[in-house]
Amino acid sequence: MAGDPNILKELQGIVGEEQATSDKHIMYAYSYDMSFVKNKLPAYVVLPENAEEVQQIVKLANKTKTPLIPYVAGTNIGGLCIPEKDNSIVMDLKRMNRIIRIDEDSRYAIIEPGVSHAQLAEELYKRGLRFGWPVGPPSASVLACAICHGIGGITGRYGLNSEQITSMEVVRPTGEVARVGSCAIQEDSWHSLLPLPLLNGLFTGWLGTTGVVTKIGIFTPAIPPEVEIVTTATDTLQDMYKYMLQMGRYEIADDLTAVSWWLSQVPIPYPYKEKPKDAPEWNSYAVLYAYTPKELEAKLEMFEQTVKDQQKAGSSLQVTQYPEEARRARTELPSQIVGSTKNYSKEAGGGISWPGTFTPANRWVDVWEKWRDIYTKRNLSPSVRVTMYRGTHYGMLRAMTPLNKQYPDQVENARMAIVEALQVLLDNGGIPYKPPVDFWKEIFDRADPGFVQLIQDVKDFIDPNNIMNPGKLLYR
Amino acid sequence: MEWNFRNIDKEAELNLKHFFWKCTACGTCRSGYTFGPPPTFRKICPQGQKFGFEGFFASKGKAALARWMTSDPILKNEFEWTPEYLKTLYTCTGCAGCQNQCQIDFKPHIIDTIEAMRAKAVQDGVGPLKDHNVLVQSMRNNDNPYTGPRGMRAKWMKGLDVKDINKEDSSVLYFAGCTPAYNAPIRQLAVKTVSVFNKIGVDFGTLGKKEVCCGSTVLRLGAREEFKRVAEKNLEIFKNLHDERGVDTIVTSCAGCYRCILEDYEIADDFKDYMDGITIKHTADFIYDLYKEGKFEPKNEIDMKVTYHDPCHLGRHVKDWKVDWDGSQQWKGSYLDVEDKGTFEQPRELIKAIPGIKYEEMRRNRNNSYCCGSGGGVKTAFPDWAAENAALRVEEAEQTGAEKIITCCPFCHANLNDGAKVRNSQLRTIDLVELLDEAL
Ligand SMILES: Cc1cc2nc3c(=O)[nH]c(=O)nc-3n(C[C@H](O)[C@H](O)[C@H](O)COP(=O)(O)OP(=O)(O)OC[C@H]3O[C@@H](n4cnc5c(N)ncnc54)[C@H](O)[C@@H]3O)c2cc1C
Ligand code: SF4
Ligand code: SF4
Repeated sequence: MAGDPNILKELQGIVGEEQATSDKHIMYAYSYDMSFVKNKLPAYVVLPENAEEVQQIVKLANKTKTPLIPYVAGTNIGGLCIPEKDNSIVMDLKRMNRIIRIDEDSRYAIIEPGVSHAQLAEELYKRGLRFGWPVGPPSASVLACAICHGIGGITGRYGLNSEQITSMEVVRPTGEVARVGSCAIQEDSWHSLLPLPLLNGLFTGWLGTTGVVTKIGIFTPAIPPEVEIVTTATDTLQDMYKYMLQMGRYEIADDLTAVSWWLSQVPIPYPYKEKPKDAPEWNSYAVLYAYTPKELEAKLEMFEQTVKDQQKAGSSLQVTQYPEEARRARTELPSQIVGSTKNYSKEAGGGISWPGTFTPANRWVDVWEKWRDIYTKRNLSPSVRVTMYRGTHYGMLRAMTPLNKQYPDQVENARMAIVEALQVLLDNGGIPYKPPVDFWKEIFDRADPGFVQLIQDVKDFIDPNNIMNPGKLLYR
Repeated sequence: MEWNFRNIDKEAELNLKHFFWKCTACGTCRSGYTFGPPPTFRKICPQGQKFGFEGFFASKGKAALARWMTSDPILKNEFEWTPEYLKTLYTCTGCAGCQNQCQIDFKPHIIDTIEAMRAKAVQDGVGPLKDHNVLVQSMRNNDNPYTGPRGMRAKWMKGLDVKDINKEDSSVLYFAGCTPAYNAPIRQLAVKTVSVFNKIGVDFGTLGKKEVCCGSTVLRLGAREEFKRVAEKNLEIFKNLHDERGVDTIVTSCAGCYRCILEDYEIADDFKDYMDGITIKHTADFIYDLYKEGKFEPKNEIDMKVTYHDPCHLGRHVKDWKVDWDGSQQWKGSYLDVEDKGTFEQPRELIKAIPGIKYEEMRRNRNNSYCCGSGGGVKTAFPDWAAENAALRVEEAEQTGAEKIITCCPFCHANLNDGAKVRNSQLRTIDLVELLDEAL
C-alpha cells in the first residue's frame, strides 16, 4: 500500500470503500499517458459521483495539504494528469457524467466533467446541434477539452472550445462552491458569461491547478444541412499560407487547415521517411457549411475566385480530389478512427506528443522551415498542421510527434525534438497549449516578469496550500 | 501434442510485449462509438462500468496490467502478485467489447494478452481464484467444470431418440457441451436442439457419456494444462469419429464450445491433421444453412415480440485477423484488417422467419453488443456481480418491449435469467432452439 492509510480511509469514508484505492497496479494505470512525460505513481485514486463528494475530497486534500489532480480520460497529450509530487490523489471524474440539460432554443448544454464527446455527440445530433469536436478520442471529456482551450471542427467559425463556455460551477481549492456566469445569478440560467467579470478565466487554461470544475454550460450551434469540403495542394507552405490568408479573410470555413505531407500519411511514418519528389508538400481542406444551397454556392464561388487569384499570382496551388475516407474524417467527428491515434501513432506505437501552439499565421513559414530541420535531424517525420482561427486572426501550428513508449531513448529523442521546436516557436511569438512542465520552463524563461508573478499570485490567492495539480505551473 | 500458447513474458521479436506497448492509452476502447450518422455512444466494458478505475477499464487497463506485470522500463518496478491485482485480472469477462474499438496494432492481441496474464498467474501458483479452483479440480476429476459425475452427462437425453455415435455412423456429431448436461435449468437447450434436429430430419449422433468438456472454461482462467488434457482428448475423439463413423460436421449449441474448438484448438501443432475434413458449426449456423437450402420452413405462428442477445463467443470473438507478421505490407506486426466470421445475422433471420414474431433490436448489438457478464470465470467467482451486470442487459432488452430475450449460449441464457431475478423482471431468456422448436 502506498500513501497514508488514514487518508485512504477518509477518502473511502466520503465516496465508499470501493471508490477509493491505493492499490499499486491501479496507481500505475494512472501514472502515464501517451506523452513523453515521465511516469509517476499517485498514492490514491478516488471516484466521486457528485459535486458534494468533490467538495469533501477537496476539503480533505486542503486540510491535509495533499496534492489533488482532476482527471477524466487523461488524453491531454501533455502529462497533465501525471503527478509531479509525492502522495498525490488523482480524482477521476468519469462517473460524473450527466448531461443535465440541453436547451434547444438557446442552444446550450449543461454537462458534468465525465460527459464524453461521444456521449454528447449522440444527444446533440438528435437535436440537430453540434460542438467543436476535437480530432481526439471520443471517450475524452468535453469539459476538460473546453477548460483547456481545446480546438475543434468549428474553431474557424466560432473560436476555441473555451470560447463556447457559457457558465460554470467550480469547487475552489479551499472547498467553497462558486458559480460564474449567468448561473451565478439565476440557478437555471446558463446562457452567458458576459457581461459579468470573466471569472471563468480563473479556471480555463489553468490545467486543473485552480479548482475543480463540476459543471459547465457550452454553446451548441446548429448543424447546417449543406456541406462541402474543398481541397488544395501546394509545393510550399508559403503558397499554402497565402491561399489560406485569402480564404480566411472571407470567414466562410468552419475549419481551414493544411497539413504537411508527413501528417497526411496514415499513419505518420516512423521513423522519418523521405517525401516522394513529385508529391506536394502541403495539402489543405476547408470545410464549408451552409444553411441553404445558395449560401453554399456563394462560398464555393469565393473558393474558386481564391484559387484563380492565387494561381494568377504564380502560386503552385492546385485543386485536389480528396479521398472519401479523408473527406469523412473532416466532418464525421468525433471520430473513432482518428481519435484512437491510428492516424498518428500506429507505426510508432504507444505514444504521441506535440508542440501544439497558437501562432500568428504570418510566422508559420519561418517556424516550419526550422521545425522541418529539427525533426529530420532527429529522424522524425515533420508532421505539421496549420489551422486558421476566426478568419486570419491567428492559427494553430502543431507537430504531431509519434514516439515508441517501450523504448525510453526513443521517447527522449522525441522530447528533445519537441522542446527544440518549442524554443523556435516561442521566439517567433507562438504560445503552446496544454503545456507540460518542460514547456513552462521555456515559457517563463522568456515571459514578462510581471506575468510570471501574476500567475503565481493568482494561484497563491486561490489555492493557498498549493494542493491543486501542484508543479504543473513549474513554480507552483 | 505441442500447443503454441502465447506467453506474457516470452522473449521473442513480436511477442505480446511488443503489442501491449503499442497501446497509446487513448481510451477509445472504453466505449462503443460509431459516428453513424446518427452518432451512437454505448457503454461497452462491464468490468470498467462496475469497478470504475483505470486498470479495470477496457483494454487500456489490460495493457497497464501487462506493463506493470512485466516491469515498466522507466519505473523498473518489481512485480508482486497481490489479491487486488488478481481481482482486477479476474473480473474481466474477456468479452472483447474493448477489442472491437481499438484501431492500433495491439487490437488482435488483446484477448491473448489477458489470457496470457492469467496463465502466468496459474504458472506462479497464485491463480485462478479460490472459487475457480473447484471448477479446475472438477475438470481434472470429471472432465467437466460442474463437479458432475461422468455418468450423469447423458442424463439429459434419457427417453430421447438420439443415435449413439460411438456405435452408429453419422456425418453430424451434436456436441451438447457440459452446461445443458449438468445445469438443470439449461437442460432444455440440448433437449430442444435434438427435437429441432429430429423435426427437420437431421441425421446426427451424440457421444453420450463419452463426451468430454471442450476446455473453454479452464482456458479462460489460465489453467492451460487442464485445457490441454481435455482438448487433446477431444481432438482424438473427433479424428476417430471422422475416420470410423464418417463425421464431417460437429455442431454445438454452446457459444463457448464453438469458439474454443474453432479458434483455440487451432493453436495445436497437429490441429490440421486431426480436424482434416471436419467442420465445426454452431447450431444457429447449421440450422440456418438448412433453412436457406429450403429444408424446412417455420410454420407455427408465434405471436410474440422478441429481441436477440449476441453471445460474445459466437459473435465478435470469431474473427480472422490480418497481421503483417513479416513486414512485407506495412511493418512487422502491423494490424492490417479484420474479417468478421461471427454469427450475427443467422439467428436474427431465423427468428424473423417465424410467422407472427415481432422483432426489435437492442441498442447494443452485433460487434457492439453488451456482454451478459458471465464470461471469463466471472460467474463462478463473482456470481452476484455477474447477475447484476446481466440485469443491466435485461433492462436494455425491456426497453425494446420484448416479451422474451432470445440467445444462443447457455452461459448468457442462465446469467440473463439470473439478471432478470435481480431486477424482479418478468422478461425471460430462452435459446433460439427453444423458439424454433415451438415454430416447427
Ligand atoms: C489523438 C489525439 C488527438 C487530439 N486532438 C485534439 C484536438 O483536436 N483538440 C483538442 O482540443 N484536444 C485534442 N486532444 C486532447 C484531448 O483528447 C482533449 O482535449 C480531451 O477532450 C481532453 O479530455 P480528457 O478527458 O482526456 O482530459 P484529461 O486529460 O483528463 O484532463 C485534461 C486537463 O484538465 C484538467 N481537468 C480535467 N477535468 C477537470 C475539472 N473538472 N476541473 C478542473 N480541471 C480538470 C486535468 O487536471 C488536466 O490538467 C487530442 C488527443 C489525442 C490523443
Ligand atoms: S487498447 Fe487500443 S483503444 Fe484502448 S487505449 Fe490502448 S490503443 Fe487505445
Ligand atoms: S474484455 Fe470486456 S470486460 Fe474485459 S476489459 Fe474488455 S470490454 Fe472490459
